[in-house]
Amino acid sequence: MTAPARFSVHLPEANAIDATVGRALLERMWLIRAFEEKASELYARGLIKGLLHLGIGQEGSAVGAIARLAPTDRVFGSHRAHAHALAKGADPVRLLAELAGRTTGYCGGKGGSMHIAAPEVGFMTATGIVAGNLPLALGDAWAATLEPSDRVSVVFFGDGAGQAGPFHETLNIASLWRLPIVFICENNGYAEFTPLSAHTKVEHLAEYAGVYGIPAVTIDGNDVFAIHAAVGEAVARARTGDGPTFVEALTHRLRGHYEGDPAKYRELSELAEWKAKDPIARFTAGLIERAWLAEGAATTIEADARTRIEAAAAEALAGPLPGPADLARDVYAAT
Amino acid sequence: MTTDIRTIDAIRGALDEALAGDPAVCLLGEDITLGGPFGATRGLSDRYGEDRVRNTPISEATIMGLAIGAAMAGRRPVLEIMFVDFITLAMDQLVNHAAKLRYMSGGQLCVPLTIRVQGGAAGGMGAHHSQSLEAWFAHVPGLTVVAPSDPADAWGLLASAIRSDDPVVFLEHRGLYWTKGPVPGDGHLVPIGRAVVRRPGRDVTVVAWSRMVNTALDAAEALAADGIDVEVVDARSLLPLDLDTMVASVRRTGRLVVASEAVVTGGVGAEIAASVASAAGGALRAPVERVGAPFVPPPAGPDLEALFVPTADHIASAVRRTLHAA
Amino acid sequence: MLPDLPADALVLQFRTMLRIRRFEEALITLASDHDIGHFHVYIGQEATGVPALAWLQEGDVAYSTHRNHGHLIARGVDPAAMLAEILGKTTGTNRGKGGTLHLASLVHGFPTTSSSVGGPLPIAVGSAFAFRELRQDRVSVALFGDGALEEGAWHEAANIAAMRQVPVIFLCENNSPEALGQKANEYPSSTLAATELTDLVAPFRIPFEVVDGTDAGAVSAAMGRAVERARAGGGPSFIEARTVRWPGNRPLWPQLLTGETDLAVAWDAARIPDDHRAWHERQDGLLRFLCELLAAGAITQAQALALDAEARAEMVAAVRFGLASPYPAPEEALDDVFA
Repeated sequence: MTAPARFSVHLPEANAIDATVGRALLERMWLIRAFEEKASELYARGLIKGLLHLGIGQEGSAVGAIARLAPTDRVFGSHRAHAHALAKGADPVRLLAELAGRTTGYCGGKGGSMHIAAPEVGFMTATGIVAGNLPLALGDAWAATLEPSDRVSVVFFGDGAGQAGPFHETLNIASLWRLPIVFICENNGYAEFTPLSAHTKVEHLAEYAGVYGIPAVTIDGNDVFAIHAAVGEAVARARTGDGPTFVEALTHRLRGHYEGDPAKYRELSELAEWKAKDPIARFTAGLIERAWLAEGAATTIEADARTRIEAAAAEALAGPLPGPADLARDVYAAT
Repeated sequence: MTTDIRTIDAIRGALDEALAGDPAVCLLGEDITLGGPFGATRGLSDRYGEDRVRNTPISEATIMGLAIGAAMAGRRPVLEIMFVDFITLAMDQLVNHAAKLRYMSGGQLCVPLTIRVQGGAAGGMGAHHSQSLEAWFAHVPGLTVVAPSDPADAWGLLASAIRSDDPVVFLEHRGLYWTKGPVPGDGHLVPIGRAVVRRPGRDVTVVAWSRMVNTALDAAEALAADGIDVEVVDARSLLPLDLDTMVASVRRTGRLVVASEAVVTGGVGAEIAASVASAAGGALRAPVERVGAPFVPPPAGPDLEALFVPTADHIASAVRRTLHAA
Repeated sequence: MLPDLPADALVLQFRTMLRIRRFEEALITLASDHDIGHFHVYIGQEATGVPALAWLQEGDVAYSTHRNHGHLIARGVDPAAMLAEILGKTTGTNRGKGGTLHLASLVHGFPTTSSSVGGPLPIAVGSAFAFRELRQDRVSVALFGDGALEEGAWHEAANIAAMRQVPVIFLCENNSPEALGQKANEYPSSTLAATELTDLVAPFRIPFEVVDGTDAGAVSAAMGRAVERARAGGGPSFIEARTVRWPGNRPLWPQLLTGETDLAVAWDAARIPDDHRAWHERQDGLLRFLCELLAAGAITQAQALALDAEARAEMVAAVRFGLASPYPAPEEALDDVFA
């Protein structure tokens, strides 16, 4: 499923991915995959509670995009943001600890899956409010112009956010003020349980960006090469003061909206179709094709990732649970 | 050097001082480069530039989030929402993000944001321009809520709000904008969370805030002619409440009236009544009385509005009821 | 051009425009020595509201904003009751409870007017939604200005209207570029990044037209198409009607900067004042309509002046009625909060 690009996306062999970068990207994608599957397992075992929204199948857009960011750049995620936090450099131990409600988690166990914050690595926050992160990222970008700094703010959201009022307002202000922000819409075709086509007349959300004069492109979000290139251009544009860009990455979540959602609204054939386009498998094939990765190396990468996550889970679960003294902490600056 | 200035000028003075003193301070709001509808921000964009004093489109939901995001990034934004009635559009960002990000992030994130809103019934503007909504904000953990009653407190509380590392809702009343009062000027700070006794008295404590403080003082003066000595306590801070000052007062007088312009039902007055009764119950010699607006939307037109806004007579009647109760 | 209607219907529209104009002028004059609070006038936009709303029938509804006086008079609401409402009197359309910002008359198809910018949009879509569900051929009109398009509510309302194909007409009266907050040499306003307002409509696949708001015929034709589409089950439409903001609407409070309208300017060029020449010559839709009526022989100068005298007299009486009416009794303050 491809769509017309609004600006050219160069995919020559000599783009910013090489053997070293490629391997690193693949390792990161496998780390995320292993993390998400482990989280799913822990959830099923009752060791993670609450709501869990997993991004299995969407690793490509998170990793390919965030690879173009400097450490000082900032990322804002949605409710489905584990991948983005990890891609930005969050520690899997502290992340799992947070999901499991431990005081050793990033947020002391107070935030949980939907409210991850790891600002020390530039992952500012996730949010449970659809489209709620767009204005926050806008403010972060505005602050960058005041500091002044050439850092860039990136906000990830889904296709469901495109129907919300703040989506419209944020695009408008980002364009008017020419802010250093990159909008990345991970269009997985479903807003909760409803297909996008039932929510909106446009086929691609990038069309909205064009209304506000924001350069926009719709790409195959499971093609790491494509997203890596597109976001690279977008980040460069923002950093040089040329304002926002909108990148729509077409992708799919292989699980339900949340863990426990049987996803009866989705045809099995559709699921099969997307499994065949798994970003990890495709990127692996791409690396092997370019002779940047040996055939057996991928298996090792996967195994290493799972080992690392296994250890992380053990360490995370060993962390203490919060108690009454923690309840009232951090409501205010003084508490 | 203390000078007599109007509340609106005191607000501008505090903003000017903050902008001059801290490069992280920035202003956001609709039409603020033109001074806004009442002139609070007049001249500030000329002095500090339109990057730091920024006009926004009419997009309350997003400009609240914008201000929060900028605060998270280390700015100290002061956001103006033109009428408190429009803050309804921005409640998601205020309640779900501004108030909760510190907590949800386990202390990693900080939202040093000040939100200036103007409200209250004055000018017969009707239901969408006249509400007093402090109870909504005072009910949200993570928010701070202050309401000055005079120019000095307007300056001092705004200065404190901007310095605070927590999100603060700064409630202005346009009925107070043009009243004058002495203001010390630069450097003036009023601490958040401290009420003040405006008029000491022996017989009854009246706790009020914002424009109702003046109304309470008028009532006290009228009652003095009848030999009733009223102590007027200006709450100044609605979240956190300075219950210590209020309780100490009630321990002296034994009687409490809470007066506000908001509707009585579910208002901050109920919170004060219950909290004070709980802490000083033994000292109370009469049930607590609350004075406020009737439980109706604010009507348009001067005559109905005059019936909507509580008067000195209402407060005086409430005071007398506490004196006549068994 | 003139609407495609018989002469007597055109004269009736002129009469309505005139009544709106004299009402608003009377209000501004009243405000100069009475404190009536802040208000917004429709001067300069009569040639949009009157021909557009003339398409509505009984049962149709319209939702307006803070600039609603012209809309209500266009649909037959009694100016005296409106004036009384603006003054907060019990004889007002809302019994003194709503004021200028919330004038309403359900029997005339104005359930409410809202003063949060963008506020009427979702409600108008809601009415249309109901009409469709109930299989009625009624239509709902959302009346708003260019500022409303900055609000997220526009985006949400337009999307749902389009997805549900509801019989709503979005009539946007764009009286920028003179609007508060606008800067020169940037986008059409400093508050909207689109270069055309209608760029915001395109993604919703809602059919749209842009018309000169002082051209009553163009407005009428566009609205006719939109109403027909809605009634026939064809879904929503968007019309942008552009006018130059009346000079008297530029200060924070309305002022009679162009004076009381002198109809004779339409046939005696010598009477055109030097001040605001462009306004009198070509930007005032009411004067333009009159010129076209005269040229078409649909009205004579004497008839125009006679209608004007009637309109003025009607508004003098409306003001008198408003001033003489009583305020609501205290007991009424609690009425109509709940059922």
